[in-house]
Amino acid sequence: MPSRFTYQPVREYHVVVLGAGGVGKSCLTAQFVHNEWIESYDPTIEDSYRTQVTVDGRQVVLEILDTAGTDQFVAMRDLFLKSGQGFLLVFSIASRSSFDELATLREEILRIKDDDTVPIVMVGNKADLEDQRAVDRARAFGVSRSWNAPYYESSARTRTNVDEVFIDLCRQLCRREDMLEERARDDLGQKMSDEAAKKRRRRRRRKEKCVIL
Amino acid sequence: MAMLNSQPARSSLQVAPLAIQKTRSNGSSVADSSDPYSQSQITPPATPNGSQEDLYTQAQEHVQMEIEMANEPPVFHNFLRAFYPFQPENIVNDSTVTLPLNEGDVVLVHSIHTNGWADGTLLVNGARGWLPTNYCEAYDPDEMRSLLKALLNFWDMMRATCGNDSEMFGNQEFMKGIIAGVRYLLRTHCLTRESPLVQQYDGLRRNRKSLLSELSCLVKTARRLHDAQRMGNVEEVNEVVDEMILRAFKIVTKGVRFLDVLEEERRPLVPTIAAITAAEDNQVPPTPPAESSNFDAGYGPAADAGSRAEDDGETAERAQYAASDVARSLTPAENRLSSVCTQNTNARRLSQVGPLQIHRPSSTLSHRLSIAGPSPLAHSQNLVSEKLNACHDIFLSHLGSFIGRLHLQSQSRPSLARAVKQSATSGGQLLVVVDVVCTHNAAVIDVLEQSRAAMYDRIQELVHTARDILANATLDMEEDVIVPQDNGRLLGAATGCVKATGECVAKTKWVIERIGDFEFEFDNGSLGVNFDLSALTLVREEKDSKYCPSESASIAGSTVSETPTASTAISVTSSAPVPSVVLSIDKPLPDVPQVTSPITEQPVSHPLPSDSRPQSLPMRDRASSVVQTASYNRADLPPLPRISTASLPMDTYSPLEPSSTNGSDFRSFRSESMTASSSGSGSTYLSRHSESSILSQTSTRATTPDSTQAPRNQPSFSDLSTTETTSQAEEVDDVESRLIEKTFAHELVFNKEGQVTGGSLPALVERLTTHESTPDAMFVSTFYLTFRLFCTPTALTQALVERFDYVGESSTIAAPVRLRTYNVFKGWLESHWREETDREALDLIKEFAQVKLAAILPSAAKRLLDLAEKVSVADGALVPRFVSSMGKSGATGTHYIPAETLVPAPAMTRSQTNALTAWKAGGSCPSILDFDPLEIARQLTIKQMSLFCSILPEELLGSKWTKLAGVGAPNVKAMSAFTTGLSNLVADTILQYDEVKKRALVIKHWIKIASQCSSLHNYDALMAITCALTDTSIKRLKMTWDTVSVKRKEMLKSLQSTVDFNQNYKALRARLHDRVPPCLPFLGMFLTDLTFVDVGNPATKTSDTGLVVINFDKHTRTAKSIGELQRFQIPYRLTEVADLQEWLSSQIDRVREKDKAGANTQASHYRKSLLLEPREVQQLRTPVEPPTPAVTGSGMFAWMRSNSGTTTATQGLSAPL
Repeated sequence: MPSRFTYQPVREYHVVVLGAGGVGKSCLTAQFVHNEWIESYDPTIEDSYRTQVTVDGRQVVLEILDTAGTDQFVAMRDLFLKSGQGFLLVFSIASRSSFDELATLREEILRIKDDDTVPIVMVGNKADLEDQRAVDRARAFGVSRSWNAPYYESSARTRTNVDEVFIDLCRQLCRREDMLEERARDDLGQKMSDEAAKKRRRRRRRKEKCVIL
Repeated sequence: MAMLNSQPARSSLQVAPLAIQKTRSNGSSVADSSDPYSQSQITPPATPNGSQEDLYTQAQEHVQMEIEMANEPPVFHNFLRAFYPFQPENIVNDSTVTLPLNEGDVVLVHSIHTNGWADGTLLVNGARGWLPTNYCEAYDPDEMRSLLKALLNFWDMMRATCGNDSEMFGNQEFMKGIIAGVRYLLRTHCLTRESPLVQQYDGLRRNRKSLLSELSCLVKTARRLHDAQRMGNVEEVNEVVDEMILRAFKIVTKGVRFLDVLEEERRPLVPTIAAITAAEDNQVPPTPPAESSNFDAGYGPAADAGSRAEDDGETAERAQYAASDVARSLTPAENRLSSVCTQNTNARRLSQVGPLQIHRPSSTLSHRLSIAGPSPLAHSQNLVSEKLNACHDIFLSHLGSFIGRLHLQSQSRPSLARAVKQSATSGGQLLVVVDVVCTHNAAVIDVLEQSRAAMYDRIQELVHTARDILANATLDMEEDVIVPQDNGRLLGAATGCVKATGECVAKTKWVIERIGDFEFEFDNGSLGVNFDLSALTLVREEKDSKYCPSESASIAGSTVSETPTASTAISVTSSAPVPSVVLSIDKPLPDVPQVTSPITEQPVSHPLPSDSRPQSLPMRDRASSVVQTASYNRADLPPLPRISTASLPMDTYSPLEPSSTNGSDFRSFRSESMTASSSGSGSTYLSRHSESSILSQTSTRATTPDSTQAPRNQPSFSDLSTTETTSQAEEVDDVESRLIEKTFAHELVFNKEGQVTGGSLPALVERLTTHESTPDAMFVSTFYLTFRLFCTPTALTQALVERFDYVGESSTIAAPVRLRTYNVFKGWLESHWREETDREALDLIKEFAQVKLAAILPSAAKRLLDLAEKVSVADGALVPRFVSSMGKSGATGTHYIPAETLVPAPAMTRSQTNALTAWKAGGSCPSILDFDPLEIARQLTIKQMSLFCSILPEELLGSKWTKLAGVGAPNVKAMSAFTTGLSNLVADTILQYDEVKKRALVIKHWIKIASQCSSLHNYDALMAITCALTDTSIKRLKMTWDTVSVKRKEMLKSLQSTVDFNQNYKALRARLHDRVPPCLPFLGMFLTDLTFVDVGNPATKTSDTGLVVINFDKHTRTAKSIGELQRFQIPYRLTEVADLQEWLSSQIDRVREKDKAGANTQASHYRKSLLLEPREVQQLRTPVEPPTPAVTGSGMFAWMRSNSGTTTATQGLSAPL
């Protein structure tokens, strides 16, 4: 762990919100970046999608990239994915197809990032529509485990787990960066094998997570 | 200076968190308590009422994870009502004003300091100052809510807008709220005179009448305003505006009184604090009458001060001076001029006349000016506005200390001489700055000349007076003191200086605002020269006598004895400006408040409240020793946050002014020399509408009605109420008839700018059909464009018909409103009709036309029926026009490019044309490389623009293009399909070649095409091409890119940066911002904006009266975005090359067809890419385990098809993202 007293510059991460149309991913984004008591929300200003959060006592600036409305511009997706460091995969628990589409999205992420440890959080949105549920919770959780991604069920409407999903992703990003720093430091002395073990441990811990309403 | 700067910048500004419950997260409150500067406890006076908690609803601690935004803001109450009387020990000192409160007083709150003091305006007399919140309770009864809200709007509008904004004042819109508010108050039982309650209770009747008469006065005044505006009499406009604000206050006061009486009549057995007094006499309600002691108290000392002035010649002026000072106690002005420079009433008026009419709107501007100043650490005296402020402040501080000295009983000649000298020096420096402004822009000389001359004269007069006195003193040499009667003359002269300076600086500031601030290097040498010009007599002798300040003090005295002309003593050294710190250390400053405010009223010593002393500590941190003295002297005052008086008349006070830095340095000069105040910057204030920019909030609101400061010029409150109530009985009836008009005006919600941001449907319809003026175009177009999002066409029709009906009750406005109602129908049918959705309302409209409309406006009815018939058969609008008129009215590009401008000839060679002809005849297909990049770019642009122009506004509403596969938005869909197709074509043309060189060539070609698109401002194509070129499938072709020249790669990079989506398309937005068409923006950006406006803003909002209304703001934003898009719907003037168009389309189609069969285009491109330049073996990633078990494929790309069930995505269109 880095020393408490070392200077920690404010980190900035790009988070990409992905999901099929109609899963309410833009609601999730809007809810997260939008201070509730600001009466009207203007999405055309420079920092409309920037927000600062505190994760484990450190300030992090998140820039949310949400392609809402431009889903049809498929060609842009590659660019978006490339610039993202962490990904929210959003589906609607009321739509089976939106859930199935996540696999394609994930593949695309892995292909473009060329890295299978890229931080991902899987989100089952519209959790308030329990009576229309089309995606079994256990099934979703199973998939999330196989992807090594935490799974949340959220509801933008009731503002449930909205912040949590972003924070979790942010925490993953932070840890990842810490780890890289650590590794860079360790490279000088320690052996790589220790590090890998540590990494494995950490990843296992992350895997256990399943947050349900 | 240096000393000041070295202090912790915010130390003196830090105010402890106090008894008020602040709702903050745990984390931050911990931080607060650990703040080293926050130990001083400032509390409001001991409270009769235990706690203030009821004033502030503690927001729920709902901390979600560590996110701070989960905190809810504390509730800010706009109005407070005193339930205990409060008599401050000092009503006023130099810079802070504490308001005395009577039981029942209602206060408009501007901000609440963390220590529990609120900056508020007493409605009963318009006085502004500090008052303890713990003596008050929130005042927000249901019945009054509408009226109180209206008052807030009224205040904002009157204060924040410019006097000659005739558009706003012209339509009397601002009156509506107040009238609606009164109506709302009366509506339950007392709307008409005949209502039983009114009949039964005399007190109620009388109060009702007095309320109505007040309202009629306001209406009358408003009319006067309108007239004055038309006449262009700005001075009068300002006065009338002031008067109107007072009257509006009055109305609310009376409303409060009325409600009290009503409450009491309703529940006679339940005594309320308010009712007890009211019961005795209805005319003496809990709200004290206007003519309460304040004014009398004000005039008394004024007269006193007048009689104390010995010198006949100065008496009048001095009396005025004192009077105005006292007047200030009633209404603490937010003048930057602090106590000493309080101007007499005339001067005030004068100073307003000049700059004010233009200043009112720009108050924030001038404010910004000072904010914009660099930090104090960077030596930043270069901006002329800064210099002006600095010089003015120094000058005032010198004069202030000088005036202070005059009130000491004995005054030594040397110190007098030095004080005058310092004043004159700094005055001279100020003049230099003014001159610099003059010389900078010759055009402004006229404006400034007069006031500059006046200021010069005044300074000179001061100097002459001082010289005379000193000269006389030399006659009796043993007398080392200045005799008291001379003091009077000096005081007069000094006051004159302050006055003239204030005026001059105000004008100069105005000029600077106009001509723009500029930098100027003031070196001390030039100071001397300039001063020489301006103040000849002063400087002449000074040149040869260069004393340092301390020496000059003593030497001056002796020189005087030799040379009768005291100008030596008063002379100016051409050295650096004397920092006032030096001055302060020289001699502790006398307490200015003692001088300027009625001394007799000020108890010399009070038991020191133990907690008040620490309060002065932070101040001491920053200021010099003088301030220490000052603050100790002041320790008997109730510890108060201070309303900073640090602003010029047109400058406004902002407790949160973030600039502090430079500005507060100079402010602190003032606080040294005048024991004025530190502004509350750095501390937290609760302020109205704290959710929005607090800075601008406070600055727009922070101006006390100037009128109250000048009782002479303004009708007094008692005048207002008594004279007019009696004489205008008939007016009352008029108002009554207006009141009885049925209206929904109270169901509208406005923002600061006076735009409608919410309202119920009837209220919005009423607004749409307002009789007073042409409805706001933006509002109307937004309404037409978006009404289907918040109501059905049937509901709109019904609301309009209802409006048509109920307006009949009020005879005076029925005719115009009905005509407008008809016009709304007409406009709808003519230009905004959408058959598929609006059909349902057609029968209703016809019925309305046949019955109701025909009865009143037969010809209109006929026309409407005609339209109704036509509309169902017509294809498209009958009278086409931009649905949202925010764009340009003309729909053709000829507006921008004159028709005679030559259309560029196509860049096509004969062989290219032949190749295309051959291709059409079935010959071989030419490649993209065969054509000129310029021409390709042009043809792409033509094609895209034609798609873009066909996008209809309704396609962009309610995220329609994302729903049902975009059925409701065919043109949006077509456009995005083309853009995507273009991207795919780019990738395809590159990947079709097996040779590295060939691929590189195609890449190069596309970069050139992209560059041409950029020159044509076709950002949609630019986006498509750069996206394709940076797509992983292309980007990974390392060998190919190595062959592309660095120059081309750099070019691509810069092209990419223009359409970079980071920071919310910052670069692209900047380019589009003032781009004149023709230009093709990237459609996706608008789509994202519109999506987020749609999902980010709720459909409804809650008005202040608790009513849930339509969130019209959301629709305004939507319309604005669409309007911006429409701005670019103007075709290019380029020649279409049909064959090339055809070829391009066929190419795009070809790519589309190619992938129709199988997986999505992106994936197949990637596959192709891998084949062309395989991965290096060690890079090969282990295939990720498939998410779905049904994997049938095998081999390298099996995962691509792993979810073939869902990838129905063809044409690269509907693939999810």
